[in-house]
Amino acid sequence: MVRNVLLTGVGGQGIITASTVLAQACRLAGWQVKKSEVHGMSQRGGSVNSYVRFSADEQIASPLIPEGEAEMMLAFEPLEGLRQIRQATPDAVVLVEERRIVPVTVNMPGVTYPDDVIERLVASGRRVTVVPASATAVELGESRAANMVMLGALATQIELADEIWSEAAALVLKPRALEVNLRAFEAGRQLVPAGV
Amino acid sequence: MADTAKDRREKLLLSGNEAIAHGAWEAGVRFGSGYPGTPSSEILPALNELGEVYCEWSVNEKVALEAAAGASIAGARCLVTMKHVGVNVAADPLFTMSYTGVEGGLVIISADDPSMHSSQNEQDNRHYARASKVPMLEPSDSQEARDFTMRAFELSEQFDTPVFLRPVTRICHSDGLVEVGERAEVPLRGELQKQPEKYVMIPAYARKRRVFMAERTRALVELAEHDEINREEMGDTSLGIITSGAAYTYAKEAFPEASFLKLGLVWPLSPERIRRFAEQVDRLFVIEELDPFLTEEILAMGVAVERVDESFRIGELTPARVREMIAGEPAPDTTADEDLPPRPPTLCAGCPHRSVFTLLRKLKAYVTGDIGCYTLGTLPPLQALHTCLCMGAGINEAHGMQKVRGHEAPVVAVIGDSTFTHSGITGLVNIAYNAGVSTVVIVDNRTTAMTGGQVHPGVGETLSGMPGRALDFEALARAVGVEDVRVVDPYDMAATEAALRETMASPEPSVVIARRECVLMVRERRPAPDFDADRCTRCGACIRIGCPALWAEDDGGKRPIPRINTALCTGCLMCAQVCPVDALKAPEGAQEGNQ
Ligand SMILES: Cc1ncc(C[n+]2csc(CCOP(=O)(O)OP(=O)(O)O)c2C)c(N)n1
Ligand code: SF4
Ligand code: SF4
Repeated sequence: MVRNVLLTGVGGQGIITASTVLAQACRLAGWQVKKSEVHGMSQRGGSVNSYVRFSADEQIASPLIPEGEAEMMLAFEPLEGLRQIRQATPDAVVLVEERRIVPVTVNMPGVTYPDDVIERLVASGRRVTVVPASATAVELGESRAANMVMLGALATQIELADEIWSEAAALVLKPRALEVNLRAFEAGRQLVPAGV
Repeated sequence: MADTAKDRREKLLLSGNEAIAHGAWEAGVRFGSGYPGTPSSEILPALNELGEVYCEWSVNEKVALEAAAGASIAGARCLVTMKHVGVNVAADPLFTMSYTGVEGGLVIISADDPSMHSSQNEQDNRHYARASKVPMLEPSDSQEARDFTMRAFELSEQFDTPVFLRPVTRICHSDGLVEVGERAEVPLRGELQKQPEKYVMIPAYARKRRVFMAERTRALVELAEHDEINREEMGDTSLGIITSGAAYTYAKEAFPEASFLKLGLVWPLSPERIRRFAEQVDRLFVIEELDPFLTEEILAMGVAVERVDESFRIGELTPARVREMIAGEPAPDTTADEDLPPRPPTLCAGCPHRSVFTLLRKLKAYVTGDIGCYTLGTLPPLQALHTCLCMGAGINEAHGMQKVRGHEAPVVAVIGDSTFTHSGITGLVNIAYNAGVSTVVIVDNRTTAMTGGQVHPGVGETLSGMPGRALDFEALARAVGVEDVRVVDPYDMAATEAALRETMASPEPSVVIARRECVLMVRERRPAPDFDADRCTRCGACIRIGCPALWAEDDGGKRPIPRINTALCTGCLMCAQVCPVDALKAPEGAQEGNQ
């Protein structure tokens, strides 16, 4: 079985770092893995999507998740989660950061950030859990570790041993930042109740 | 290749770009050159990182390819990297290098960008292979990116030709598991021999090489017939698919049971092998991204392939699009709700380009632009950049416009520092020489920001981190004959405005260098401006500069009130400078003049 995770959010949120840790963890587990994203223009505060596909037993052909087949979605920003929601399967697990990042386009006449983003995510029927990732990271004293809080939340959905996650994180993150990031990861894991 | 869980743990997780660098390194490459361009930009830095290879960011793609031509004639294996439109710049040497061939193997990476994720067009560079008669390989994942790069060096030397490798964005920027090896020590090939009949392309010699090229192509067709770089994957023969590269992965995902002829070598093709495959399947499709390149070649062989709708010729393919092409199943609807505010890329908070466009908007200039972060000056609310064609074009467009509209036309060319060194200098020479009048603004942020912050000649540091001689833009502009040359700090909006006003009014050509580092390169932040809500008249002038750290909040007042996101604000104080009533001000205690 090939499993598909879509990570979505805003340029500068550390999405690609998080997806690289996930992909390295899959490799260390001895799984097949492919990861894909688009760099470039999107990094100037635009929308960013990263796709990670992994499997313990099967070859993976496409680096892109086939349309509508993401069974897990990690939304680093609510609006971006809603923008991508139809890429998720009808019963997908959706973990969504609560903090909004308002795009500059709302400064244009007639453009507003909808008030009911989370409600619409829930109404879509997916299994939505709101994750206060930024708030948690700030409490830990490192606001930039919100991406690892999100990854910790995702880890509740993927059967990988603790050592594998920390080994993967050590491969990707700067040694200086590793300790606080691992704490952020652990905190994220505690934020998602069992059985989501 | 063995592929157990244990083997996978021992592989590397590499992007296509890193895998290309690794393949080149293992193949003993000694010389790497290129010019940045998404999606190719990470290849040379990765190669440089692996060590033992001379790597450089050349001034542009033509320079990169010609320098590699020299290194190859001198016997070294060479890697040249660029994005698809870079090959247009390098096309002149390319077409004749196909005649001269190589000594040391020479591989050109043409990184194409279907869907234009970060490009001004989505040209299909497979046409370059056929037009220049240079063989082209297409990898479909990171492992092939490494393997095909290594193979490309062998083919280059074996067939005496440059070889193209064409990854697309989804290959360059996808990670996969790669089995790698050690670097082979490949000595310089032969002695430095003078071979004018091979390297001096006067007609008499070129005509002979032209005949050699025809023989070479015949030999490559023979290779294509038997070589495992192309492979049959026979499954259910009711559906046959001929494909390559990223398109193969989508087709395989959509129709895992079908029979495939997966082409690694996309030019030239072997008619024999294609016919053989076609005969074994009931229905035959060619699945390829962008132009019907393989389709036309295969139809010309007299092999019938099924038609696909022309709409699939635009943009990237995906598994669902391939399903739609072949089985007519409509792709699932994944479009977002219509009322969601878009989130396009924007100039960063504190970007020095912002003030230049704010002022050019105020001066109602017609701005002939160019390519870089500053192209974002075209989007609302700035809307102050009015052309963007290709690198270097803006200066020449301004010149042409003013030749027919006169110097009174409020035309200004805006070009980035890296773009200026890439292909702006010749335009400036042209203006001076042809008695032009244009004002050229070089937005000099000391980096190639758009593609990730690479160094360039103006910076005076090289790819490998060595000090290089810095190009002096002021001296250069004067040397080509422009007398009115000014340098301003774009954070000082009054001085910048004065320079723009004066140069635009003047009937002489001029260069304004707006110099201030890209905020992504500056570590320390300045404090956000103080905001005095009582003074604020809610005029919205600050909001209209489009800074992502500023937003207008509806607080129930007659109009929305500005708010500052202090986490994003870099303290550039442009908003304070456009505020007509000093409601936004340098914070108490901050240094005056913002230096
Ligand atoms: C022929 C060609 N090569 C490369 C590119 C990719 N590219 C686009 S803009 C740019 C340079 C941007 O640097 P600069 O002019 O300094 O502007 P900045 O982004 O720093 O504002 C590059 C390399 C291209 N579009 N065309
Ligand atoms: S990366 Fe630099 S040049 Fe590009 S928008 Fe940001 S500040 Fe401006
Ligand atoms: S000072 Fe004003 S314009 Fe500059 S970054 Fe801060 S909010 Fe934006």
